[in-house]
Amino acid sequence: MEELEKRSRLAQARALVAALEANNEAEYQASLNALAASQTQPMFEEVGRMTREVHEALMIFATDDRLNLLAEDEMPDARDRLRYVITLTEQAANRTLALVEEAFPVADRLIDRAERLHIELVQIRQGHADNTRLVDVITELTAYLDSVQKNGGILKTGLTEIMMAQEFQDLSGQLLLRVIALLETLEGKMLGLLQKIHPISAEKPAAQTLAALSQGMGPAVPGAKNDSSAAESIKNQDDVDDLLASLGF
Amino acid sequence: MDRNMKILVVDDFSTMRRIIKNLLKELGFTNIEEADDGATALPMLKQGNFDFLVTDWNMPGMTGIDLLKAVRADPALAHLPVLMVTAEAKREQIIMAAQAGVNGYVVKPFNGPTLKEKIDKIFERVQG
Repeated sequence: MEELEKRSRLAQARALVAALEANNEAEYQASLNALAASQTQPMFEEVGRMTREVHEALMIFATDDRLNLLAEDEMPDARDRLRYVITLTEQAANRTLALVEEAFPVADRLIDRAERLHIELVQIRQGHADNTRLVDVITELTAYLDSVQKNGGILKTGLTEIMMAQEFQDLSGQLLLRVIALLETLEGKMLGLLQKIHPISAEKPAAQTLAALSQGMGPAVPGAKNDSSAAESIKNQDDVDDLLASLGF
Repeated sequence: MDRNMKILVVDDFSTMRRIIKNLLKELGFTNIEEADDGATALPMLKQGNFDFLVTDWNMPGMTGIDLLKAVRADPALAHLPVLMVTAEAKREQIIMAAQAGVNGYVVKPFNGPTLKEKIDKIFERVQG
C-alpha cells in the first residue's frame, strides 16, 4: 500500500473512531461512507471502463462491413451451397440406384436361364451316352452354365454392395442438414445483434471482388445469392462456348 | 412369414427408402408403400391394413419415435410390428424406442443380412 493512501485511510479510520467516541451519529455515518466509498470507487471505475470497452467493441463489430457481408450474404450462401450438395448427392445416388435396379433382374434372368438349361442338358447327355462328340460338347456347355450361375451370384452381391453404398447420401445429408440448421441459428442471432446495435445500411458492400474470384468460387450453385450478384454464373458448356465465342475465341 | 404382407417404409430421404425397398424386394416382399415422415405415414397406417412398419427416427414433421408412440396408442394399430432403421444410436434413444414398444432396431449404416435377420426375428416372435 502506498504511503499516501495509507495515511488517508488512517485519517478516515481515526475520524470514524473519534465520531463514535463523541457519540456524533452524523459524523460517524459520514466517515463510514467515506471509508466504504474508498473500497467501492475503484470497482465502479473498472465496471465503467469495461462498459465503455464493450460498447466500443460492439460499435467496431457492427460497423465492420465484413460482418454485414457474413450475416447477409455469406451465411445464406453457405446454406444454399450445402443444400445443393444434398441435391447433387441425391441425384448421383438415385442414378446409381436406377442402374442397379435395372441390372438386378438381368442378373436374375441370366442365373435362372443358365440353371434351367443346365438341367435340360444333363438329361440330354444321359440319353446320348454313346455319342462321345455330343457328350463332350454338353460337358463343356454345362461347365460354362455353372460359371454363369456362379458369376451371376457374384454380380448380384456386387450390385447389392453398390446399392448399400448409396446409404452415404442419407447419412451425409443428415449431417449437412444439421450444419444448415446451425448456420440458420447463427445467421439469425448475428442479424438480430446487428439490427440492435447498428441498423444495417441500405448500401451493401460488393459481395465479390476480383481477388475473391481469382481464389476460386467452387461449383456454381443454382439460385445461390452470390451467383446472381457480382459474378454471374454460367449454366452449361454451351454458355461457356457462347461466351468464349463472343470474346473472339 | 407371409411374403405378400403389406409394408410401409418411412424415411425422409428418398435414397434410403429406395434402398430399403430394394432390400425388401430381394427378400421376397413386393407389397411395399412409402411415406416421407410420420405425419404422412400415420393416416396411411390408419386406412391401409399394413402388416409391418419400417421407419427412420429423425424426420422433419413427425419423427419416427412419435410415430411409434402414436401407433402404440391407437388400439387398431397397437400390435403392428415396427422396425426402426435409423442413424440415431445413442443408448438413451435405443432405450426410449424399446420403452415405446419397438420390435427391432437397425442402426445405419447397415446391410442386407442385418435387415433380414431383424425382420426374421420380429416375425418369429410375432407368430410364435
